[in-house]
Amino acid sequence: VSAGLAPSRPSARVQLASVFRKEVFQTVRDRRVMFLLMVAPLVQTVVFGFAVDFDVDRVPTVVVDLDRTAESREHARRLLADRTLAPVGAAAGMAEAERAIDRGDAAAALLLPRGLGADLLAGRPAEVQVVLDGTDPNRAIVAGGAVSRYFGELGERMARERLAARGLPEPARIELVPRLAYNPELRSPPFMVPGIAAMLLVIVTTLTSAMGLAREREMGTLEQVLVTPVRPLLLLVGKMAPFVVIGVVDVMLLVGVGTWLFDIPIRGSPLVLLAATLVYLMTTLGVGLLISTVSANQQQAFLGGFLFAMPAILLSGVMTPIRAMPDWLQLVTRLNPLRYFVEVMRGVLLRGAGLADLWPQLAALVVLGVAILAVATSRFHKRLA
Amino acid sequence: VNDRLRRSLVRIGAMAAKETQHVLRDPRTLYMSLGMPVVLLFLFGYGLSFDLDRIPIAVEDRDRTESSRALVDALTASGELEEVARAGAGEAEALFRRGEALAALVVPEGYGRDLSARRAARIQLLVDGADTVVANQVLSKADALVRAEARRLLGPDLSRRPPPVQVQVFTLYNPEGRSALYLVPGLAVYLLAITAVLLTALTIAGEWERGSMEQLFASPVGRLEIVLGKLLPYLVLGILELQLVVAFGAVAFDLPIRGSGPLLFAFGVLFLVGMLGQGLLVSVVAKNQLVATQAGALSALLPSLLLSGMVFPIENMPSVLQALSRIVPARYLVHALRGVLLKGNGLDVLWPDLVALLVFAMAVIAIATARFQRRLA
Repeated sequence: VSAGLAPSRPSARVQLASVFRKEVFQTVRDRRVMFLLMVAPLVQTVVFGFAVDFDVDRVPTVVVDLDRTAESREHARRLLADRTLAPVGAAAGMAEAERAIDRGDAAAALLLPRGLGADLLAGRPAEVQVVLDGTDPNRAIVAGGAVSRYFGELGERMARERLAARGLPEPARIELVPRLAYNPELRSPPFMVPGIAAMLLVIVTTLTSAMGLAREREMGTLEQVLVTPVRPLLLLVGKMAPFVVIGVVDVMLLVGVGTWLFDIPIRGSPLVLLAATLVYLMTTLGVGLLISTVSANQQQAFLGGFLFAMPAILLSGVMTPIRAMPDWLQLVTRLNPLRYFVEVMRGVLLRGAGLADLWPQLAALVVLGVAILAVATSRFHKRLA
Repeated sequence: VNDRLRRSLVRIGAMAAKETQHVLRDPRTLYMSLGMPVVLLFLFGYGLSFDLDRIPIAVEDRDRTESSRALVDALTASGELEEVARAGAGEAEALFRRGEALAALVVPEGYGRDLSARRAARIQLLVDGADTVVANQVLSKADALVRAEARRLLGPDLSRRPPPVQVQVFTLYNPEGRSALYLVPGLAVYLLAITAVLLTALTIAGEWERGSMEQLFASPVGRLEIVLGKLLPYLVLGILELQLVVAFGAVAFDLPIRGSGPLLFAFGVLFLVGMLGQGLLVSVVAKNQLVATQAGALSALLPSLLLSGMVFPIENMPSVLQALSRIVPARYLVHALRGVLLKGNGLDVLWPDLVALLVFAMAVIAIATARFQRRLA
């Protein structure tokens, strides 16, 4: 450095390191922020993992047994022994049973008509009725299906016995032998927890970075730093770097808790997962930056972040399958970085997929990440100029 | 006394008018509380569903007989199961990993022979169990299609006989089983929680952060008046939002309103008061907007989504979470809204929900005002 001239800028590395150090200090010093960025996602994953269970079982059922024979009692007992339905009492008549459904004490009522036992023994066609609480359609379908299946199988068994009794040959039978790959018990957590991790990363990184930058704009500190020799681009990278670290740590934490608490396997390569996480963070932080450039204050930044996060979560396949969406909506999901990250997470953890299977998703994330960051940085520069 | 009350009301009104202007000036707030509900309802009603129309499967017919071809045709004819690849169990997992197929059907050699010999003919279905929701659908659809094929094989005289026991199913309240009717009340509750907790927490935390709260205290406006004035516009916004969601649900999805409108309104207001109190509490504890949003999301949004029964049934949860859900006010409003809208329940059934919401609102407002006073002292 020659004396008499304006002091030259420190090297890029030094600039970057000092911004990074300052940002890390600032983030770590505020215990509440650290708690919210590290502990909160963990708590949410645990609660979510236990709360989300799509399996319908123990549907509270009242039995209206008008037949009152040993036969009818036996069928009611066997039907309710299967865990899908759970008995919550008996009612004298259908009106009483419907009142129980109205009050919410029961969600299904089973009516066994007078003469059911005698009809079954004589081989006469009989009819049972099920009344369901339809407010939860999924539960209603499962409960109705359990009753239909029980009596359907009973009917098939009786028909076969009748043929055998008459000395006729047994009819042809097809047996479907299902085998479930990856998750033989079909537990919900291995499916849901990777999706939750992707969801929480949006909240932790996009919302926090958008609000953090909006706060600097609000307080005018961004302009102050720009007077110093730090280049705007390096300032930006330094500000984003702590979030990348937090995001990666969060993913490791969540996957760790998932394997420990919910027995989620890690069948594929953790490196692919790490690469996907880094590229995915590029997109979420890019969106955060973009939102901060169109927000005058933190409240606006929060709203902007939320307006991005809600549809992105709904259109990611975390909750409902993408294949079940109409075609035009499936096209929209192709622009959603969350979708690709969820696919990579589930592919690597559950299916043991590798780069050979998941390169399209990774490529899509790279393209989206570069595009979003390019737009966001150019807008950031324009705002500062 | 009357005069003091009147003047106090004027001051509250002035605060509320100022806050209303803030809200109106930023279209994002309005969009979030009034536009977002419509977008979400639209998505839930027309876009999001759990049911797949076409399930891509791989098929390997090792038998290659007339009966095995008939079976594959019967399974794939309706298009519900769609044959996308001719591959066996060996290659199936590669297809699963790339997401190209969700199941693989294998008809083993000897299928046709077993059928004609009246032995049980076995077929295998390998299902991608990673997506549990889809896997359950694949299993039940394949099961139904195989049963239908087995019935067809029984021959015309046997298959046309009525089954010995017929099951008649009546579904109350939502006979077509439309998921929109199930989701709309829950969605209304979720959106109300967002508006009431997060927007108030943000706006009041912003005043603390900028130090303008202290300036306001120096003005002749009383402290309680400031808080009431700031919360009032969000109460109105929340009520508008509830009406919008119910009205949109009624117009677009034929959501019925079988119970009493005023009761619905009373539930909504009581819930909003509690949520506004929670927003105030969050802002006092958090002191800045960044912490306030995360704390608000953790204490209000997630419980309202996960533990309210809006999507995930409470009965299915472990008992610890069921107990925890009892302190989540959204749980009571979801139950009450479904009761009033779909079942036509009245107070005789829903009074426990009303009591729970009342207790929550009073408790949270008591805590929030106590913390608020202490913060100033």
